[in-house]
Amino acid sequence: MIEIKNLTKNYGPHCAISNLNFNIPKGDVVGFLGPNGAGKSTTMKIITGFMAPSDGYAKIAGFDVFESPIEVKKRIGYLPETPPLYGEMTVTDYLIYVAKLKRVSKEKIPMLVRRAIEKTNLGEVQKRLIQHLSKGFKQRVGIAQALVSDPEVLILDEPTVGLDPKQMHEIRELIRELKGQHTIILSTHILPEVRAVCERAIIIHKGKIVAEDTIANLSSLEKGKSLLQVRVRKNSQEFATVLKRLNGVLDVEANEDNKSWKISVRNQDDVIESVAQEIINQGWGLLEMTPSQMDLEDVFLKLTYGSQVGGQI
Amino acid sequence: MKGMRVIAAKELRGFLFSPTFYVMLFLITIILSYLYPIQLNIFSQLSSNYVMQQGIPPQQLNIHYGVFLRHLSYLNLLLIFIVPALTMKLLSEEKKLRTFDLLLTSPVTSKDIVIGKYLAALGAIFGIMFVAFLYPLLTAFFANIQWAPLIISFLGIFLIGAVYASMDLFCSSLTENALIAYVMSVIFNVAIWFIGMSVEVTDSQLVRQILEHVSLNTHLSSLVEGTVRSNGIVFLGSLIFFFVFLAERMVESTRWRA
Repeated sequence: MIEIKNLTKNYGPHCAISNLNFNIPKGDVVGFLGPNGAGKSTTMKIITGFMAPSDGYAKIAGFDVFESPIEVKKRIGYLPETPPLYGEMTVTDYLIYVAKLKRVSKEKIPMLVRRAIEKTNLGEVQKRLIQHLSKGFKQRVGIAQALVSDPEVLILDEPTVGLDPKQMHEIRELIRELKGQHTIILSTHILPEVRAVCERAIIIHKGKIVAEDTIANLSSLEKGKSLLQVRVRKNSQEFATVLKRLNGVLDVEANEDNKSWKISVRNQDDVIESVAQEIINQGWGLLEMTPSQMDLEDVFLKLTYGSQVGGQI
Repeated sequence: MKGMRVIAAKELRGFLFSPTFYVMLFLITIILSYLYPIQLNIFSQLSSNYVMQQGIPPQQLNIHYGVFLRHLSYLNLLLIFIVPALTMKLLSEEKKLRTFDLLLTSPVTSKDIVIGKYLAALGAIFGIMFVAFLYPLLTAFFANIQWAPLIISFLGIFLIGAVYASMDLFCSSLTENALIAYVMSVIFNVAIWFIGMSVEVTDSQLVRQILEHVSLNTHLSSLVEGTVRSNGIVFLGSLIFFFVFLAERMVESTRWRA
């Protein structure tokens, strides 16, 4: 559905993205991850035909973005970083206008507008002027705007920014609902979001793709290693040394607050069991022990910032 | 084509449903309502004392010259400042509010965007024309009026308003700041009247001819007489085309300039 080949964009001497290559099949939800300034928005702007690449091409449903922009734009719903809203229009009028702009046929417009309003829970404000809405509502109008033409491809640039946790959850539910019918690219730097809705993630850093895989594969990049968060009542000097002696314990590290510890162990249940046993035997007063997999967050940080901070994370 | 219509309709609604447009119309009517009766009075005094004032050029005894031409020139003066106010936000505001993103990622061409907005501006100018036309229309109850030259002269001023709109739309495409767009537009509008002024100081016959042709005064006064000259129409038409084209290029360039 979306085919990106050797995509490059230079802003003068500054290279925003260089040589991006990826394919997204129909119906997939792909997370587009990267720190601020990594080139996420630039890539999205090129895919939507907002601007032209310096080199390479992007194809949507077989149409080149630069050569047949009209065909591509008919198939795309785009939510930019700043939702493109006209303050002096009411929500309904605005959605009708967008639907007309996207060349939705006249008979379908009322139905699609109603559907977009329903899906984004805008019913109570549909008659209000957009300029009087709160930030969360505006963001949802932005999402409704991307949905209203029932596009094959949805491109959402940080869709949950400015929403409260409940709304965030609703939007994620919505995206999950749209899975299958639409091909969705979701740019974000909020990792739980990616884990919640995406099947695949593309991690981009300094304009280059550093990883591209399914969420499951990315999360278990460091297979066989898991992390124990341990909190104890008594703080003993020999805590680290004692535990390090155990079979299967790789590293013990104190957290900043000096009351809890990070223990990385080989991923086997009996190792965890023996750690717990040891803490109890020593009488340190075990308060909390949470095993966690090396997860997306760690992978993300390692791939993007990792090289700069020298494995601090 | 469809996109053009959608954008034009949206912008026109924007004018017609916003109080700003009506405030402008209201202020225009205040000025015109003050000036028009004065002209009418002068004209009626002139015509009643015609025998005693032999020095007056006979043109002044025609209501089209004595009243309507002045009315139109006041209207023109107002348009120089009002049209930029109508057009200043058309493109600059879209850039500032990032709604340009929506237009540029919708299946519409830059041509659709610019022409759509231009047509909406023409619609608003037409509204102003309509209000200004009410004055001669009411005069028709107690004076003898030739309708054809009157309507043609209004079409003439409308064309000049259309030239302003094209230049001002171009100014709006240059910047994100509506105020800068406004000031630039006024300067442009005033400038095309000043160009003709150097006719007085040129010796070269050719330059003089060119300047007379470029001067809007020449074209407007012939239209007021009720004569439609093809060279005038072509000149105004090409000015409009030129500036709308430039605005379209500016919009298109945002796609690759970034």
